[in-house]
Amino acid sequence: MTATHSAPKPIVGIVGLTGCAGDQLVVLNCERELLDLAQLVDLREFPMASSNGAEGVALDIAFVEGAVVSQRDEDVLHGVRERARTLVALGTCAAWGGVAALDRLFDRDQLVRDVYGDAGAAFDTRPARSVRDVVAVEYVIPGCPIERDELLQAIAHLLQGNPPLPRDVPVCAECRMRESNCLLMERGVICCGPVTVGGCNARCPAVGTPCIGCRGPSPDANLPAALAAFAEQGIIQDEARRRLELFAAIPISRTEEPA
Amino acid sequence: MTTRITIEHLARVEGHGGVTVELQDGRVETVRFDIIEGARLLEGLVRGRRYDEVAPIASRICGICSAAHTLTSNLATERAFGITPSVRTERLRDLLLRGENIQSHALHIFLLALPDYSGAASVLELAADQRDVVELGLRLKRLGNTIQETVGGRAVHPVTPVVGGFTSQPSVDALLALRDALQLGRQDALDAVAVVAGLARLDFGRSPTAYAALHTPGGYAYAGGHEIVVELTGRTTTVPVPAYQSLAREHTVAHSHARHSRWNGTPFMVGALARLVVNGQHLPAIGTRAMADLGLTLPFEDPLDNTRAQAVELCVDVARAMDLVEQLLADGDRADVPVPVEPRAGSGTAAIEAPRGLLVHSYEYDEHGRLARADVMTPTALNAASVEHRLRHAAERHVSLEATELKRVLEMVVRAYDPCISCAVHVLDLGRAP
Repeated sequence: MTATHSAPKPIVGIVGLTGCAGDQLVVLNCERELLDLAQLVDLREFPMASSNGAEGVALDIAFVEGAVVSQRDEDVLHGVRERARTLVALGTCAAWGGVAALDRLFDRDQLVRDVYGDAGAAFDTRPARSVRDVVAVEYVIPGCPIERDELLQAIAHLLQGNPPLPRDVPVCAECRMRESNCLLMERGVICCGPVTVGGCNARCPAVGTPCIGCRGPSPDANLPAALAAFAEQGIIQDEARRRLELFAAIPISRTEEPA
Repeated sequence: MTTRITIEHLARVEGHGGVTVELQDGRVETVRFDIIEGARLLEGLVRGRRYDEVAPIASRICGICSAAHTLTSNLATERAFGITPSVRTERLRDLLLRGENIQSHALHIFLLALPDYSGAASVLELAADQRDVVELGLRLKRLGNTIQETVGGRAVHPVTPVVGGFTSQPSVDALLALRDALQLGRQDALDAVAVVAGLARLDFGRSPTAYAALHTPGGYAYAGGHEIVVELTGRTTTVPVPAYQSLAREHTVAHSHARHSRWNGTPFMVGALARLVVNGQHLPAIGTRAMADLGLTLPFEDPLDNTRAQAVELCVDVARAMDLVEQLLADGDRADVPVPVEPRAGSGTAAIEAPRGLLVHSYEYDEHGRLARADVMTPTALNAASVEHRLRHAAERHVSLEATELKRVLEMVVRAYDPCISCAVHVLDLGRAP
């Protein structure tokens, strides 16, 4: 008897650290694809959606969402790194620290006291870091939240043994392709599109909402040029800097003042 | 002899939590609903932010109820600035909240709760022999997301809602497409009621409890009210939204990054079941029929009924969403720009019924429109004391079960509350000394 061998399905894990779980929700929001996806991969570890108790297994691909804000997060992340062949940082918290990393602008001990009172001192809490700050990752899918289509494309590429397509064009380029009105030039409002990595098909400017940089900076982000463009529109530099720092710990303080 | 039963990491809930039960010579001693989610601190991090940055940051408290956080935040800011949005804005907000509720309830009923009733670990396992049921749930979930995408511009963390209104309106074509989807969704919602009505009636313990929800006098809705109503065994107490802090005698407990709330010393429940108690008189006929089909009768004493109450709301929301779409279409394709914002110093408090229950945002702004103080009270934090109370009840009743079975009972009790633990860590009050 000859057995027909089909390639074993890659074992996949989806793990959440500290965050809003919005990126894991986007996985579950693939309502039309979810059952087919489950035929292509062995979705072994996904505590948000499964109580199979498989946490701790060896993984071919691990998707990790959230920021590292506690010893527990750090332990979980190191554990995933050790048992995963490929680790994908899922979402802007994992990629850049996200809004959790705004803590760098505050006295964190005071923040914890303000929130939890004296009990806060006993909590397992520490300054927010991205997944990439703590372990090496193979790939990043940014977004707050991630885009469903980008996730599905990335999974398709990974299943073919290929890296997901790198994203390097800024939101601004995608916005021009869509021929949306330029909110920065026409309305003089802060739009982070020029320095934010695309992949969202300029979702926000297309509905008249300026980009707030939720996907993190594009690889070639020219912050001084962006600040100069904002200045030309009469935007206060401090406002622009504060907007650019919302989702990613961009070292804005080290960028040069525009001439 | 002390025996400890621990569920270290609750699965099929949103966020990270656990349960610990300690038995002393076969008697239940300690029961804890442990919240192990890292501290989020977002209400602290949002301080100093300009008014138009506040809702986008507050939305990140929770991916699942991001529309509720966004709209509650915008409402609180509008109240601080003395802004009244247009009627069309109110309709779009109502529609967006229906979409979120449909998505969230379909997620909870079909993906998180239903596997328990079939001994499956996940919806994917469940699909092996109940594919039709799973596809039904996924269709309803998709419908909720389609509403959110049409109105909010994105299913998670909506992008069109702003202080004063929406940056853009759904086109007539988009509304017509939504109407078609809702027409199909109506039967799906009724089928969902039938699925939930067919679930085994498990008895993990019944007990009277208090319920709290935003009273919505204009109909069965999730926004538009100014009073919180607490019902405790026939006694009704009304709390104006700005006085919400009197609702929650909170105390920080060491095992949890959430504060525990009690009403006059009694734990209370918020969520779909609480809304049926407080706003049940406004239910449309489709809702009262669903209640009858599901065997839901007052007084509600079984926490597992919360899942049934969510099925009632699925029907009500699909029907109401249809009405809203018809209304928006009848209004025509009119331009409706956000009300202009003039920031001023002031404070504003707003409450909305998020899918999991009462949600309050309370803000203080300085004269430049920067946020000076934020206080957010979330449904799961309000429910935390009630979860522990019900866990104790279930543990005492089933103390003779072997550990694996007892754990299953405890997990199902927690899941019935549909906890959102990412949210729960957000109860805080920056204005008061702890």
